[in-house]
Amino acid sequence: MSVTDIDTVPDVDTAIPAAPKSLWRRLRRLPITLYLGGALVSIFVFVALLSFVWTPYPPNQLNMSNRLAPPGTPGFFLGTDRGGRDVMTELMLGARNSLYVSVVSTVVAMVVGSAIGLAVAGSNRYFQGPLTRLVDAGLALPGILTALVLAAKLGPGNTTATLAIIIWQIPVAARVTIGPARQVLALDFVEAAYGYGRRKPYILVRHVLQNISPLLIVLGSVMFAAAILIEAALAFLGVGVQPPTSSWGRFLNETQALLDAAPYLMFFPGLAIVFTALGFNLLGDGLRTVLDPQQSRSGLS
Amino acid sequence: MLEIRDLRVHIDGHEIIHIDELDLPPGARLGLVGESGSGKTMTAKAIAGLLPAEAKVSGTVRFDGNDLLALNDAQFARIRGKRIGFVFQDPARSLNPMMRIGRQVSEAIRLHTDLKGRAITDKVVELLTQVQLPDPASLVRRYPHQLSGGQQQRVMIAAAIAADPELLIADEPTTALDVTVQAEILRLLISLSEERQMSVLFVSHDLGVIRYVCDRVAVIYGGHVAETGSVDDVIDRPRHRYTSALLAANPGMPKDDDFAAFMGQRLHTIPGSVPAVGRFPSGCRFRNRCGHASAACASIPSPVTGADGHRYSCWNPGGED
Amino acid sequence: MAIVDIDDMYFHYPRAALGEGDEGWTLRGISFEVTAGSTLGIVGESGSGKSTLIRVMCGLLRHQRGTVRFEGQEIGEFRGKGANELRRKNQIVFQNPRRSLDPRMTIRRSLTEPMRALQGRKPDDDELIVSLEKVGLGREVLPRFPHQLSGGQLQRVGIARSLSVDPTILYADEPVSALDVSVQAQVLNLLMDLRDELNLTLVMVSHDLGVVSRMCEEIIVMRDGRIVEAGRTDAVLTRPESEYTAALLAAARLASLEREVEAPG
Repeated sequence: MSVTDIDTVPDVDTAIPAAPKSLWRRLRRLPITLYLGGALVSIFVFVALLSFVWTPYPPNQLNMSNRLAPPGTPGFFLGTDRGGRDVMTELMLGARNSLYVSVVSTVVAMVVGSAIGLAVAGSNRYFQGPLTRLVDAGLALPGILTALVLAAKLGPGNTTATLAIIIWQIPVAARVTIGPARQVLALDFVEAAYGYGRRKPYILVRHVLQNISPLLIVLGSVMFAAAILIEAALAFLGVGVQPPTSSWGRFLNETQALLDAAPYLMFFPGLAIVFTALGFNLLGDGLRTVLDPQQSRSGLS
Repeated sequence: MLEIRDLRVHIDGHEIIHIDELDLPPGARLGLVGESGSGKTMTAKAIAGLLPAEAKVSGTVRFDGNDLLALNDAQFARIRGKRIGFVFQDPARSLNPMMRIGRQVSEAIRLHTDLKGRAITDKVVELLTQVQLPDPASLVRRYPHQLSGGQQQRVMIAAAIAADPELLIADEPTTALDVTVQAEILRLLISLSEERQMSVLFVSHDLGVIRYVCDRVAVIYGGHVAETGSVDDVIDRPRHRYTSALLAANPGMPKDDDFAAFMGQRLHTIPGSVPAVGRFPSGCRFRNRCGHASAACASIPSPVTGADGHRYSCWNPGGED
Repeated sequence: MAIVDIDDMYFHYPRAALGEGDEGWTLRGISFEVTAGSTLGIVGESGSGKSTLIRVMCGLLRHQRGTVRFEGQEIGEFRGKGANELRRKNQIVFQNPRRSLDPRMTIRRSLTEPMRALQGRKPDDDELIVSLEKVGLGREVLPRFPHQLSGGQLQRVGIARSLSVDPTILYADEPVSALDVSVQAQVLNLLMDLRDELNLTLVMVSHDLGVVSRMCEEIIVMRDGRIVEAGRTDAVLTRPESEYTAALLAAARLASLEREVEAPG
């Protein structure tokens, strides 16, 4: 056959764009967990933010004539607690505190943890083993005990809780980063980058971090769920936030004495904690499916 | 042995494969040659009933008189491994790393024959000897990672022929291997096929390998059979423009006295690249890359059959019989 | 004139279990020269050390014994600006174009990387288009990501990326073995055209003797980290001195399109 000039013939691959899928079809292909998780998380964030501008009652307003009103009492949709404070108001304010502690601790732990993970993955072979073991040792730290020790030193409070969560989560973020980062470092395009003169720090940030970013997004949402649970646990134990700031965990603690008289009081904050944590976990699961490169490539080989 | 009529595979509403007619006579070796995305592997999988559930298969694949596509899973399972054996591309992935060699080879014997106990072990050793592995008696106790790639592929072949199948389907069995090892494995496949009168369906991207192993070849492009016939007819006297273009693009090897003329010579090229699955043009699948395409090529060419079953589907064929 | 000059070079990977003599070394006692402007083919089977060899030659891996000189200077002695120049002049085209481009970088970004890293400058689109046209591609690929291009197009991008910093030697590590047969010819022709046009020294690793005998004046046959045979390609392949070369040749002829009388064995 004649030798045809390659430039004149377009690749079919690129010349014919894939038929654009309708937005509806693309949305329908997304996993249900993403929608469920997204909805729960949105409600949580919305409620927390709403509490800054509106709550049914002012924070901590005591209402002695309406102590321990059951849910459904006119004016007190979810009832009141022992001091006559509106439960719905308390829960909204608790969401705010939960969001605050979780955002700060997750962001700091993610940034520091993944930076440590990248550094360990990129360290030379003499340091890599020992450093990895060090991170493993960090993983073994008993989180609650750390928080108790911190509280003894710094006194209880939001700062202590946040710090405890950060210390707890940094090794998690680091450990999860190391493996995938090392896998990316073994890929051909990294060798290519060395080949045209890039050095390790640049490669770690520009190539490795970018390629593991989907994983970090998933990790972030799962860590967020954990942070919410830990914040509640620490507040419950009295190590976390102190009165008069509201918190789901402390609310649980305060109502446990009333388990016989008003069991429903434990029900609402418990539900709030469970659904918020579930929401972030579902979101993480959904994101994992969406961001998995094997899922997004629809071609058949 | 194998008669394919009007075999179609649809995935996601796209017709990926349409093989109008393809035969594998008893004891013959048929090569399916094509590039990635041509549908050669999917054709082999459709015959073997190994396609994923979302693939819709229609048409008939007659194996020894029975239509394979009409079988249910249980019936198919009785044929696979017993009457049809398989060898895949990457032996390292096809063998279970946690299972001893002897156990992997004996699996098919246990499933498909009446042999028991000591007889199974003897049969395994006999099979390993047949595929020319050294020291088979001690080999049965080894694990796959203790073997080289070529040895692993021999183990795969031993397992595939364990139940004396009448048909062996080999999908790129030497692509992952070095050239010298490839040569040994190809020789082994040929001799096994001849000794046992076993038909072979040999899938490969390499026309040179197919010429060495097979009697007949089908050139697959875009899920269609572009050209089929004896290897000599198709390779020495190609009619379909895709076949001739593919042959011309092959780097080849110079004859001993030809090196000077060979050096620096440019290759004939085929413009563009193989389209992604489902994005081939209508009509002749090759027309958008063909130097001889005409208006007629917008419709699917009707096959022309010449001597010795040399059949091609091209509106503007080159060469002559 | 020799542009690369290797003398009794040994290399082993970190944590290799070294034994008596040269046991455990990946490359053992390698000596040869590459003439400026020539094309050298390195052939061998997997594990022969051929890919490792070109990585030592261009300075990506550091040998432990012997010397590797580039333009007369020991490769380990290039420092600072000199090291950058060494990198710039020695460029590699990799086997699998899909893996050698960052999937999360646009083609534009990938193409500019060598110039940013080695020359500290950001080329504009016009300059990129010129280098794309040299490899038979157009501006439309610039904003795309690797998964949107075919294997052949990606390998062209890889070649354009390597050539963007005007290297003197181009190393090609099995540059077409991951490509479809119908696309291999395009890329091989392109490499030959560019080599002639830019007066490049080309060092090509390949397992395909047909490709090597078409492209390379000189050939090195490797096995187990040693050079088995070296010389002019036509001489080595018509009258191979080692049994191993003869076996490789027989295997290559067996799988070639010619109807061959099979060599005994």
